[in-house]
Amino acid sequence: MPSYGLTIPGADSRLYVTTISTARPAPDPKPSSLPVFSSRATRFGSIKAKAATVNDAAAAEEERKELSFYELLGIPESGSITEIKQAYKQLARKYHPDVSPPGRVEEYTEKFIRVQEAYETLSDSRRRAMYDQDMARGLHLAFSARRYQYDEGMEGKGDWKNRWQSQLSELKRRSSYKDDRQNMSWGARMRRQREGLSDEV
Amino acid sequence: MAEAAYTVASDSETSREEKSSCTFPETTIGIDIGTSQCRVAIWNGSQVEILKNSRNQKMMSSYVTFKDGTPSGELSNQLSADHDMLSGAAIFNMKRLIGRVDTDPVVHSSKSLPFLVQTLDIGVRPFIAALVGNFWRSTTPEEVLAIFLVELREMAEIQLKRPIKNVVLTLPVSFSRFQLTRIERACAMAGLHILKLMPEPTAVALLYTLYAKQSGFQSTDRNVLIFNMGAGYCDVAVSVTAEEAPRGISEIIALTGSAIGGEDLLQNMMRHLLPNAENLLTSHGVDEIKSKGLLRVATQNAIHSLSSQNSVQIDVDLGNGMKICKVVDREEFEEVNRAVFDECASLIIQCLHDAKVKPEDLNDVVLVGGCSYIPKIKNLVMNVCKKEELYEGMNPLEAAVSGAALQGYVASGVHDPFESVDVLSIQVTPLSVGIRADGNNFVPIIPRNTTIPAQREMLFTTSHDNQAEALVIVYEGDGEKLEENHLLGYFKIEGLPPAPKGVPQVRVMMDIDASNVLRVLAAVLMPGSHVPINPVLDVRMPTVDDGHGWCAEALHRAYGATQDLVSVKRI
Repeated sequence: MPSYGLTIPGADSRLYVTTISTARPAPDPKPSSLPVFSSRATRFGSIKAKAATVNDAAAAEEERKELSFYELLGIPESGSITEIKQAYKQLARKYHPDVSPPGRVEEYTEKFIRVQEAYETLSDSRRRAMYDQDMARGLHLAFSARRYQYDEGMEGKGDWKNRWQSQLSELKRRSSYKDDRQNMSWGARMRRQREGLSDEV
Repeated sequence: MAEAAYTVASDSETSREEKSSCTFPETTIGIDIGTSQCRVAIWNGSQVEILKNSRNQKMMSSYVTFKDGTPSGELSNQLSADHDMLSGAAIFNMKRLIGRVDTDPVVHSSKSLPFLVQTLDIGVRPFIAALVGNFWRSTTPEEVLAIFLVELREMAEIQLKRPIKNVVLTLPVSFSRFQLTRIERACAMAGLHILKLMPEPTAVALLYTLYAKQSGFQSTDRNVLIFNMGAGYCDVAVSVTAEEAPRGISEIIALTGSAIGGEDLLQNMMRHLLPNAENLLTSHGVDEIKSKGLLRVATQNAIHSLSSQNSVQIDVDLGNGMKICKVVDREEFEEVNRAVFDECASLIIQCLHDAKVKPEDLNDVVLVGGCSYIPKIKNLVMNVCKKEELYEGMNPLEAAVSGAALQGYVASGVHDPFESVDVLSIQVTPLSVGIRADGNNFVPIIPRNTTIPAQREMLFTTSHDNQAEALVIVYEGDGEKLEENHLLGYFKIEGLPPAPKGVPQVRVMMDIDASNVLRVLAAVLMPGSHVPINPVLDVRMPTVDDGHGWCAEALHRAYGATQDLVSVKRI
């Protein structure tokens, strides 16, 4: 039940919040969806670095370095399911930690997990469509890749998924006229990400 | 730097992280500890060598006899195994008992064994004892397994003429992570160092991949179904075998497994042959132990005979005026065990479904394990998989141990100049892992059949206004009900700031690394902040110990629903 904190990303790069319900106080609009665990780096304590990154520019810079799922798999955005599968298989085999050079298990594990995420998203036509939509708006990086995994294991467990999807597309419809610029600011993307979270609440 | 993560270490003796970080250019043996039989093998660079005991046998009965307080594993033949079984001094079926609490149905069905298995049904470890003279000498499955493993190690050392430390073990698909820690403990007690634990059918799949590679791949991808049924467990895997020159790949797509096996066939048959067997089977007087030992041996022999002939004459004097004189035919045996066979079929159907592979898409079906000789098993596997014939290329009793030996060779980092055994096994999680949330429900975070290493995150929130603490209770399994799953551990998130329910974001991440170590991380964020309010909790699972069966209940009694979590996306 969306009860608070639905934010509509505006053209303005400064923070702009709309709550669709007044039942709860409007949340502090600061972005809250930076990857808290920041992948496997937690083990080495670099969560500190990421979690403490309050510098928008630095964070945005970091985000940009992340490859899209297509770039990660090295295939065109028009790539067929066969190409996706082929690319995934090659990379999964290449980066499986069991075949990593000595001392690089961590690095390979991280790459392997990223490739896995990309494959699981792009090999599912529904999730791929969602991802493509987000990418067209430059939102794919703001959304945590894990965003697309949330339905995993939930199939057949009620219609929450449909509801959630229709909510999402409604939000996108409402927001698309405002954020059709190719390059949104980091703040706008973060709000977009927050919106993704709050519509699940 | 306030955000340093802390780790709550579990009680496992050895850190698998340490193990994986160093390479061992030493010999690694593969061990297939079966419920009833056991095999040890090494890969000698070009082929599998199954090690033999001092009696020149490749197959050892998995049991340990307790005599005068000094237990000894006997790598002996079936005859002396039968004899020791009659006295109540031998402990066997360790693999069925290890890591299970006394509320587990598998433990309950073990009460009919000649040695003592007692349950209090409160969720603690069962009381297990061997009859030594006039005393019941208590023991644990870990201890028995460790004694047995020491024997196996010594046997391997004598034969290979070098010290052995590293092993790859094959285990049932349905083993929980808690059961894996018990296996690790037994290995540590026996001075063995686990390089890898493999679900049994995945070891078979790896061997299949090597054979496919050696014979030259006919097509790019081959879908293969492995059905492995032994005395204690039945496992199914669907694997894709492919070549990524020069490497052969076995990519596991789906795994299913259950604690059903030849032991169940045997028990059903014993009850069928002796209709009022219950009294006899549950008593542990000296005479009764002998009687049920005799019944067990006679029934076992009859079942073996029925694999090659249509009917069998059973003629046995159990003592105390109990005699069985009966002809049993194959049809009768199949009828008595219909439920077991039905479950076998449903495991295959489930596995194909999970793998999203149709029977017609299977290139090969591999049937292995002690039960593979039973005609009914052969038929049902061929029926469900819609195959006229099964893969013939491997010895059903040696496939798992050969795969383990092969994986050991690969994992030990021995350089292979010709890349003849360059194979890779890509594994999946056999069971889902998740937490208790949304009332008394199990919410999976990493679903079963997820390729590992894996990492998944889910968002939860509080269930009460101003909830100051939240319990993260970690379970593993695929049961509909929470209680049907295995409790792995629990921890508390403290210091939640006062807020209406549904406001705090509780992020739970699960991480399974390259060594199959599971870590659960939990962080709390308040809306508008991207810095966790407290240091992130990082807990290595499992944390529970042997008394864990009643933990869940005790937690519930102590806290009720006051510290519950609610998953965010389900509302």
